[in-house]
Amino acid sequence: MARILIPTPLRQYAGNKNVVDLNGSTVGELLGALTSEYDELRRHLYTGEGKLRSFVNIYVNDEDIRHLEKEATRVSERDTVSIVPSIAGGRDECTG
Amino acid sequence: MIRIDREAWSAMLTHAGLAYPNECCGAMLGHIDSGVKSVQRAVAFDNAYAGPQQTRYEIRPEDLLEADRLARRDGLDLIGIYHSHPDCAAYFSETDLKNSCPWYSFVVMSIRGGKFDHATSWLPNPERTAAEEEQVRYPEEASWQGS
Repeated sequence: MARILIPTPLRQYAGNKNVVDLNGSTVGELLGALTSEYDELRRHLYTGEGKLRSFVNIYVNDEDIRHLEKEATRVSERDTVSIVPSIAGGRDECTG
Repeated sequence: MIRIDREAWSAMLTHAGLAYPNECCGAMLGHIDSGVKSVQRAVAFDNAYAGPQQTRYEIRPEDLLEADRLARRDGLDLIGIYHSHPDCAAYFSETDLKNSCPWYSFVVMSIRGGKFDHATSWLPNPERTAAEEEQVRYPEEASWQGS
């Protein structure tokens, strides 16, 4: 089983767990197992078209899967998968 | 509601003051109890935006990952993100909204002429098309430790 770390605000949709251990040989399989077990998580991670939301990054240990084989990245029992959002912003043209 | 403890608030003010006139950014760690968020620690990040940082900020996902690990190690939760608006109101701009994550509280600090003016907190909706203002409490008399 690989380990998935659940971000604090999403734990309410994952049985209040901060860690979920699931079977799967790739990141895609693991996330599929996660959202099958906790259906409410799906809309927070995926678009209606079934793609990972643009601000959702998935890490296997310290590596962003975009730099590996994306959702086909293989995982082993020793791996930890993290869900990490992209965040940016700024004041723009100040209005006040 | 989000309540920021004195130590965390002082660290956020210090970070905003040192970063001025650029925007600063960081994570807020604490607990959520009966819907009330309590921030006990602020983790300062480098602003990773490659362009002018007076009007923009960007967080490296690796920094956020590390903050989450720190929180888990210390029995805390990563509950929000803070950043500053130098010489501007603490509104949630279009850029803030479009580049936000709907999972977290977003505290915005207005820094005018290098001094703290006011702060707000925002909760983006899942589509990131609007953000609801969240009540925020912070120690009024705290000040930063910078020059």
